[in-house]
Amino acid sequence: MKRAILSCNGLDKPEGSVARELAIRAAEAISGEIICPVLLNRAPARYKKALGENSLIVVDGCSTRCASKLAAGLEARVDRKVLISDVVKASGHKLPSTLTLGPDGLTMAQTIVDELVRNLNAPAAASESTSIFEAPTEFLTVMHDKFEFRIPVVDYLFNENDVWVRAADGVARVGISDYMQQKLTDISFFDFPKGDSTVEQFGELGSLESTKAVFEIISPATGTVASANSAVIANPALINEDPSGAGWLVELKLTNWPQDQEMLIDASAYAEIVKRKAAEE
Amino acid sequence: MSETTFMGVPRDKIPWFPTIDYDKCNFCMECDTFCPHKVFERREGDRKLVVANPDNCVVFCRACSKTCGPDALSFPNKPEIIALIKQIRDEEAAK
Repeated sequence: MKRAILSCNGLDKPEGSVARELAIRAAEAISGEIICPVLLNRAPARYKKALGENSLIVVDGCSTRCASKLAAGLEARVDRKVLISDVVKASGHKLPSTLTLGPDGLTMAQTIVDELVRNLNAPAAASESTSIFEAPTEFLTVMHDKFEFRIPVVDYLFNENDVWVRAADGVARVGISDYMQQKLTDISFFDFPKGDSTVEQFGELGSLESTKAVFEIISPATGTVASANSAVIANPALINEDPSGAGWLVELKLTNWPQDQEMLIDASAYAEIVKRKAAEE
Repeated sequence: MSETTFMGVPRDKIPWFPTIDYDKCNFCMECDTFCPHKVFERREGDRKLVVANPDNCVVFCRACSKTCGPDALSFPNKPEIIALIKQIRDEEAAK
């Protein structure tokens, strides 16, 4: 797969300096083209060919996420995202204090590049469906103004953070509710959790991104990530099309399911939550 | 003001809401523009933005912090909040 890099140029923050350095080094490492966000903004036709031929690695310096917001307006497929401020926070290191990177800043950029390239080359988490979950057939419907929210009934449980789960044979499938996908509108990116990583109930199971928001997927169960839905990774719009079925996100090997269920609610209780949330907005 | 619950626990017993680091905040108002729950309010004076309605914050939601360029918003430790919620549920169940 050919990839191009759309990165924060960040001239006003050290995060931007790291992002810029990372983009240059990553482009060299993968022989990818760099897309300058300033030129893209000013003269998008300049990159028409590159955007048509490549999927994008999007690098943001800080949570203002200028590069992501630019990418959201493009037709191009986003393959990977890096948010420098998050990566640095997670690493326990400190950001450089000046815009000109010293040896520590350059080492930091190279470390992030190495991790990125390793991830690009690593096989994706096993992502085939276990096929034990059939498409839902029965729904409750909550109406609010012109909106209609469908809530699958049989086998589905929910947390109050708009994530559903259904379990069978020690495996659970997880996705977001119809209400949440409508609230997010067009979902453009699924930052999926790594295979074999463990998650606690109410821990983070990756995130979804739309033009409106970044949504943390709050895990409804405790377990090990068995797979992420490859169809959704390739085409996040599937979540908007079929949030309870084909747009599932992750499968977990369950490790604490009897206790986890005590903290979840069924479709009718979740319908009440949706009514309340929709009325509050 | 809270009549709502989260996981069966009265919302006002769950201390989950953002804290603004005023040394970092540049009052760009991205968080306030984003948050549909009116957690923040804009004010006159030095602190042009405050957390006015903490109980409106959706428990475990940190979406506003993901709009914050200067990284000025922080949230409580999630495992501690989960433990607290479970403790309150257990206490209620034992009554």
